[in-house]
Amino acid sequence: MADDSQRNFRSVYYEKVGFRGVEEKKSLEILLKDDRLDIEKLCTFSQRFPLPSMYRILVWKVLLGIIPPHHESHALVMKYRKEQYWDIHHALRVIRFINDSTPQVDIFLRIHQLESGKLPRNSAFPLEPEDEVFLAIAKAMEEMVEDPIECYWLVSCFVNQLNSKHKDSLQQLPKVLEQYLNIEDSRLLMHLKTCAAMSKLPYDLWFKKCFAGCLPESSLQRVWDKVISGSCKILVFVALEILLTFKMKIIALNTAEKITQFLENIPQDNTDAIVSKAVDLWRTHCGTPAHSV
Amino acid sequence: MAQQGSVGELLSMLDSPILGVLEDITAAFKDNLICDRGPMLVNNLVDYYLETNSQQALHILSTLQEPHDKHLLDKINEYMGKAATRLPTLSLLGHVIRRQPSWKHKLSQAPLLLSLLKCLKTDTDVVVLTTGVLVLITMLPMIPQSGKQYLHDFFGIFGRLSAWCLQNPGHVAEIYLVHLHASVYALFHRLYGMYPCNFVSFLRSHYSMKENLETFEEVVKPMMEHVRIHPELVTGSKDHELDPRRWKRLETHDVVIECAKISLDPAEASYEDGYYSVSRKLGTSLKHHQTDPSASYYIDTQSSYGTSTPYSTPRLTLSQMPGQLPQILSPQSIQPSAEPQQVTIWSPSAVCGMTTPPTSPGIVPSESSQSASQPYSKAFGTSAGGKGTPLGTPATSPPPCTSDDFVHVSLPSAAATPPKKEDKPDPGRPLLYRQQNVINSDKSLDTPGSKSSVALSDLPEFLGGLSFEDSAEKDREEDAISKEISEITTDAEHMVPRGGFDSPFYRTNESLSGSQKKTHSVVSSVQGHSQTSEPLTSSLDKPGPESARETPKQTFTPIDKPCGGSGESPAGNREGTSGETSILTPSPCKVPAQRRVVFGSGQPPLYEHLFEVALPKTAYLFVGKKTEELLKKAKGTQDDDCMSSTSPVEVLDRLIQQGADAHTKELNKLSLPSKSADWTHFGGSPPSDEIHTLRNQLLLLHNQLLYERFKRQQHALRNRRLLRKVIKATALEEHNAAMKDQLKLQEKEIQALKLSLQKEQARYHQFQDEHENIVAQLHSQIRQLQHDREEFYNQSQELQTKLEDCRNMIADLRLELKKANNKVCNTELLLSQVSQKLSNSESVQQQMEFLNRQLLVLGEVNELYVEQLQHKHTDTTKEFNMLNAALRKELDKAKLCVQQQSQRLDASQKRIAELESQLAKKDHLFLEQKKYLEDVKIQARGQLQAVESRYKAQKRITQAFELEILDLFGRLEKSSLLKKLEDERAEAAEAAEERLDCGNEDTVPGHSEETIGRNGETKPPSTRGSSSSKGGSGSELSTPEKPQHQRFSSRWETSVLLEPSTTVPLTVGSLPSSKSFLGMKARELFRNKSESQCDEEGVTINRLSDALKTELCKDLNMETKAPPSPDNLSLSPKIQESSVGQLHIMDYNETHHDHS
Repeated sequence: MADDSQRNFRSVYYEKVGFRGVEEKKSLEILLKDDRLDIEKLCTFSQRFPLPSMYRILVWKVLLGIIPPHHESHALVMKYRKEQYWDIHHALRVIRFINDSTPQVDIFLRIHQLESGKLPRNSAFPLEPEDEVFLAIAKAMEEMVEDPIECYWLVSCFVNQLNSKHKDSLQQLPKVLEQYLNIEDSRLLMHLKTCAAMSKLPYDLWFKKCFAGCLPESSLQRVWDKVISGSCKILVFVALEILLTFKMKIIALNTAEKITQFLENIPQDNTDAIVSKAVDLWRTHCGTPAHSV
Repeated sequence: MAQQGSVGELLSMLDSPILGVLEDITAAFKDNLICDRGPMLVNNLVDYYLETNSQQALHILSTLQEPHDKHLLDKINEYMGKAATRLPTLSLLGHVIRRQPSWKHKLSQAPLLLSLLKCLKTDTDVVVLTTGVLVLITMLPMIPQSGKQYLHDFFGIFGRLSAWCLQNPGHVAEIYLVHLHASVYALFHRLYGMYPCNFVSFLRSHYSMKENLETFEEVVKPMMEHVRIHPELVTGSKDHELDPRRWKRLETHDVVIECAKISLDPAEASYEDGYYSVSRKLGTSLKHHQTDPSASYYIDTQSSYGTSTPYSTPRLTLSQMPGQLPQILSPQSIQPSAEPQQVTIWSPSAVCGMTTPPTSPGIVPSESSQSASQPYSKAFGTSAGGKGTPLGTPATSPPPCTSDDFVHVSLPSAAATPPKKEDKPDPGRPLLYRQQNVINSDKSLDTPGSKSSVALSDLPEFLGGLSFEDSAEKDREEDAISKEISEITTDAEHMVPRGGFDSPFYRTNESLSGSQKKTHSVVSSVQGHSQTSEPLTSSLDKPGPESARETPKQTFTPIDKPCGGSGESPAGNREGTSGETSILTPSPCKVPAQRRVVFGSGQPPLYEHLFEVALPKTAYLFVGKKTEELLKKAKGTQDDDCMSSTSPVEVLDRLIQQGADAHTKELNKLSLPSKSADWTHFGGSPPSDEIHTLRNQLLLLHNQLLYERFKRQQHALRNRRLLRKVIKATALEEHNAAMKDQLKLQEKEIQALKLSLQKEQARYHQFQDEHENIVAQLHSQIRQLQHDREEFYNQSQELQTKLEDCRNMIADLRLELKKANNKVCNTELLLSQVSQKLSNSESVQQQMEFLNRQLLVLGEVNELYVEQLQHKHTDTTKEFNMLNAALRKELDKAKLCVQQQSQRLDASQKRIAELESQLAKKDHLFLEQKKYLEDVKIQARGQLQAVESRYKAQKRITQAFELEILDLFGRLEKSSLLKKLEDERAEAAEAAEERLDCGNEDTVPGHSEETIGRNGETKPPSTRGSSSSKGGSGSELSTPEKPQHQRFSSRWETSVLLEPSTTVPLTVGSLPSSKSFLGMKARELFRNKSESQCDEEGVTINRLSDALKTELCKDLNMETKAPPSPDNLSLSPKIQESSVGQLHIMDYNETHHDHS
């Protein structure tokens, strides 16, 4: 790599010793310095290392295609995005779908609906399940991003990516989860199967909402790093790690309803650890991601 | 009771004469006593004893064990209270106490002691008092600590009794007083020995009173003359001597000896440690005089005269010792250093003669030779004593035995001794001397009193001499153990003063000295010395006249009574001592033999004497008896007694002696066994009160005897202990000596080692010197050799240089040789070359010659040709030259041309290269440009995408807006329709009525449409128009309309897609088609924004709009049907047919499709 010369030569050893991501900020800066950003490299980087929070939004925007790879056009494109947002916002106001008191998340939802042409005839119309997913993700994203326009675009593009790119793989995730659970802890799997809870696990929460509302934002960001950079398998491992972490409690519970209820409201205290372990697990099972997207 | 009866029977059987029964009974009693703890048996026994005076009962009582002591003491106490039984009770108590029972410490607490004291204080019977005092004296050392509370009682008793002695308030017989006095004297000693401070203070206080002064003068003062100052008076205090710690260490016999130490009275005293200094000095001073070893006979003579004088006796005894020893050993041994040894050797005899008997015979056989030697010597001493006594006794008892007998006796004994005394140079001399003595005794037969005294005083000498003689030969080792015996030496030396003070004998002797002198002078000339010395002694001790003056006092004593008393007492003594003597004399077989010789003299009484000599105490008695006898013979005239100076004990002794002498004299006349018959023979018919007095006297004597025996036992105990110490000390000494020997040996060894060390050192020095010499020689050799070596080295170096030179020369020569060789080779080569050259030159010469010849030939030929040519060819050369020049010129031109051509080629080639590089550059540029273009394209695409999304969003917005507008329009139209409906209600109603008439079918669906909603609405308008259907429903229909619209909008796209005729991008077109008027407005709105994008569309839209305008203007009535029309486009063909507008719209769609 060309930028390796500029990186600290010790970074290789850092990784060997076990300090992951000591120099990633610098290397990320190098990556971001390129005109015409190399999206593949960014993807690889994002999969390999946790993103520094100050560059996270930028990287996400680039990866999700909200802004083009050329630095020159960033301002222009963002201007467009902004105008587009406000146009739609205005339109929605005009047609009285939103008003001043409408919560931001709902605004996002309406804008998305309108943009995708799925705006209902009336705002009182009941929400579709995909709208619920959007709302959950938007809520989580709202916590992470300050600017509402950026937030909207991120949410919208994220959801679009989920729906387009990962649609097929998302449906297979439950099976994959079962498979890995069998490898990691067959006893827990047996328990879950005997409770008939395997089919009732909160897959929607985990795989469709990508843990939005399940994990706190700080942890969620790291999961989403991987998802946005193209690997939705991380979701399986986060779910697996959650199951393993709360194994004792889950084994103590006997009915599928209780298990589901518990898993939907897991304690939020050590989610960082869970995510870290999940990332490790993901690495061990899927290997360190190379330049493959 | 039955038991009591049986006890009575047993008691009666107690004195059974049959031995077996006796033993059984005794055992039975002892068993009973062990089993029964009650007082009954003891009480019975006491009663029985008091009644019968049974010895068996006494034995049992005196050996009572612990639990019965209380009963016994109580019983005794009980009987003590009664005056009648007091005396036997006291004697019983005395017996018991003398046994020293294990419970003796309880005596002090017992009430018995109190009653005893009370009795002593109050009683008036002398016998009882004497007995009581003796018991008390016996008891005192047993309870030294606890007895102190009664201290003043003791002192009071002493005061009373001492006064009694003087005043004699009961007016009892004088003889009793003697006993009492003796016992008081003993009490005095005991009290003074045990509690000196308290006692002295008592004396001070008691006799400071005037009424007591006389008593003090008469009684106490003489007593005090016989005691030394007690050390406690100096160091101790009243409280200190009562301190229990002082008594704790002392046993009973210790106390007794302690008391005896204080006494100066030879009868009482015991000199153990440190009290003999005076006598010793005396002894030593005497020894110095006796340095002449050869004066043995002289000494004998001395001894003979010394016997008469108390002072000379010690001298004699001591001088005889050194005198004899030298004879045995060597002249050197007479040195003062040897004297103590001799003294010690001498001592055993003294011991047996005077002091406590050696009652430790058990040691004799068991011990090793060295340690045994001393006991041996003792034994020999005793045996010698036994031997000596016959010699002495004849002298003392001339009346019974004849002098011939004695000579006879002494001779065998003397004859028996010589074989032992082998070393003795002059064995006959002592023998002779003894014979002299015997002669003396023979003479003393005539003058009996004096003779006996001589013999008595000689006794120690003889004993000593004999013992020495006997022991000397066998016990040479005694010299080595001399220190062991040193203790006994002290005894021996004690004996010396004792001999001086041995009052009873001496007094008598002195009194009779006058007659004795005569005999002595007759016998030996040396005796004259004794005469001179004798007055000295007599003046020192007691002048003869004095004693003679005092004798009358003693004349009272009836001769018969002592005889009676002594008649029994020796017998008792004999019984008691017989065992001891038998123990004493086990070792030498000669002794019994000698005895037998002695006994062989047919003198049974001598047998007694033997024992009594072995036991000094009894010997006193015996001797006392003799003296008494003598006194009796002398009719009491010569009997002397000095009250003031002699101790009461001595007085008593003398009394007893007198009695015994009288008795034995009588007895000797009679046959021995019939002692009981003595009485009648001897005393005739004595008066009854006399008998009583005699009995009492006997009793008193018995008591005294028992007391003395007790003392003796204590001494024996002490002796044993001392002996043990001696043995230990000896062992240590031996050990010490052995160690010293070892030390000496080791010192010798060390010295030897030192010597050898010196030798070794000398040898070592020698070796060292030699070594140094050798080293020096070697060094010089080395030096020489080194010198030689250097010389050789130099030589070799010279030779080497020569060698080098030679080598160089050789090398030079070789080089020269080589050079020469080379030269030779070169020359050879040169030679060959030259030869070759020579040959070559020869061949060349030949060739040259050949060529020269050819040349000559050719020259000739050439000449010929030239001549020919010159003649024939002259023109051809010009033409040829011309041609040649032309050719050359042409060639030059051609060359130039070629040059030009090549230059051009180069230029063009360069040009080509340049152009090619330019081309490549351009290609690169193109590529870059392409890249850039792509980049830009991508950039633009990105932007475009954004714009497109924006556009899409705008489209969505417009769609939304349109929807909204349409919705609003719909509502407007509905409201206008409602108004119309209200207007036409009447007509409609009528029409409805008509239609109802015509066909009920239509109305029914119309009604059903109202109720169902959507389905109803879709169908009826197609057939009949909306006016009729909606007129019925009115405002009620507004609610079902809304969901319909919503659903419509949500399904908008799908429905459009379903239609084959309409395409996706042209959805816009389809929208306005349904709503003609609304579509116009929407179009206008949409056009504004989308004009720039597609002009074509704009054209179509313009057209469309125009068409729409016209169409919409034409049939306004069709508007109502427009909203449902799109819904039912495909569904109902009827509508298409019926409505022309609708078809138009469809047409438009088609045309639009074509356009696009």
